[in-house]
Amino acid sequence: MHRHRESAENSDIAPAKTREQGLERIRKLQSLSQRGLWGLAIFLGISMVALPQAEVLPTIPRNVREMLGAAPPTNLISIALVVYSFSALVLILSRIGSGNGSYRGWSHLGYLTAFYAFYYYAEALDSNFWAIFAAGFTILSLEHYHIWTFCREHIHKEKEHLKQLARKEAFFSSTEQK
Amino acid sequence: MSILKNIAAKALVPVGLTVTGFVIVCSILLYSFVKQDMENDTIRREIQLADIIVKSTRYTMLKDDRESLRHTIQNIGEQEGVEHVRIFNKKGLIMFSAHPEEVNQIVDKESAGCIECHDGSEPATHLGEMEKARHFENNQGKEVLAITAPIYNEPSCFTGSCHVHTPEDKLLGTLDIGLSQEPLNASLNTLRNRLIVFCLMVMVLTVGGVSALLRRNVLMPVKQLVVFAEQLSEGKFDISAPEGTEELENLAKTFRHMARDRHESHQDLDRLQKQLEALSAEIRERESNQHGDKA
Repeated sequence: MHRHRESAENSDIAPAKTREQGLERIRKLQSLSQRGLWGLAIFLGISMVALPQAEVLPTIPRNVREMLGAAPPTNLISIALVVYSFSALVLILSRIGSGNGSYRGWSHLGYLTAFYAFYYYAEALDSNFWAIFAAGFTILSLEHYHIWTFCREHIHKEKEHLKQLARKEAFFSSTEQK
Repeated sequence: MSILKNIAAKALVPVGLTVTGFVIVCSILLYSFVKQDMENDTIRREIQLADIIVKSTRYTMLKDDRESLRHTIQNIGEQEGVEHVRIFNKKGLIMFSAHPEEVNQIVDKESAGCIECHDGSEPATHLGEMEKARHFENNQGKEVLAITAPIYNEPSCFTGSCHVHTPEDKLLGTLDIGLSQEPLNASLNTLRNRLIVFCLMVMVLTVGGVSALLRRNVLMPVKQLVVFAEQLSEGKFDISAPEGTEELENLAKTFRHMARDRHESHQDLDRLQKQLEALSAEIRERESNQHGDKA
């Protein structure tokens, strides 16, 4: 009993700090789990700007075209899009399988914006917009699902730890009273 | 049950999303490739048709038989799918047309079909195949693919007695023919609908296949295992273990051993508890007897 009281007195500071640290980790995980939605929202915004019917993008001046040179063939851009989509999906699935909790959606936003730019420069955005949109939506949705399930699992574990901590505290405090 | 739903969701969502999304991307790009190829083929066929018309009317032009040329152009214009056909001279004046009201009208050099050659300070005399074509919607709301075919000056032209063409004139006029894109659009719509059906079938097969396999190999055995564990916890050890994969059968056997060991431990504990109570009662009795003797 005496040993229990000592360890309870020593753990008076530790449980509170541990609980705070646990709550802080839960807050960080909750924030991380929203990143996927932000990525999707930004991608939707970029897509609305790139939408051919919106006519938001300016015409590229001739002198800029002369400076940049000829656009790459549309077929090559499409092949690059297929290869990129395939490799991105494989990498995300491998991260899901390995339990890696990192979010890589920001780099995908950059790549997808580049594809919009290439097709726009090649004057082929009209017929290929929905291909980029479908690829981006699939990749970013999968990233969001991955990070959301990862965070949910870890939040659940942290909450279980906090419950265990609360039970220990309750046991020690009832022992002290006796 | 929520755990089982979680396993199903974790297996179905990533696989379904990945396969369906990738197939949709490939289908859209395939449609785009096929559409581009079909449009290019249509343009080449229409250029060939325009060249045939120019060659067919060459003799009529050489003989300066304007009436025959007018009838020829009119007959071509009456063909199904031909939206417009006209010949204009190098000054842009429409000389012959399937629509008589257009004759003797001047065509704007900056309009589509003309700007491709007249964009620079010097008019171009040759255009690439695809540059001869232009897409637009006519007054009737129909999608039209129009081809501009030049009528070049040839030795028989500038040596003939009918027209006065100098050898320096490279171009005598232009044939402009527009054909309806409805047959092409109908084919593309059919292709698009077939690809949509294909994507839906892939999605159904993927989700359905994974669901069926998951249900058979994981969800049902796990459910049977849960029922088995519950019955073991109630002390029913004579029930048969669920069958399934080797891992699940081993797990079921382990559960049974654990449950039996626990049950035996409880029985030992009860027996020891009873012995302890009996000893305690005996000790108390002896103590009370000793107190009684001393008194």
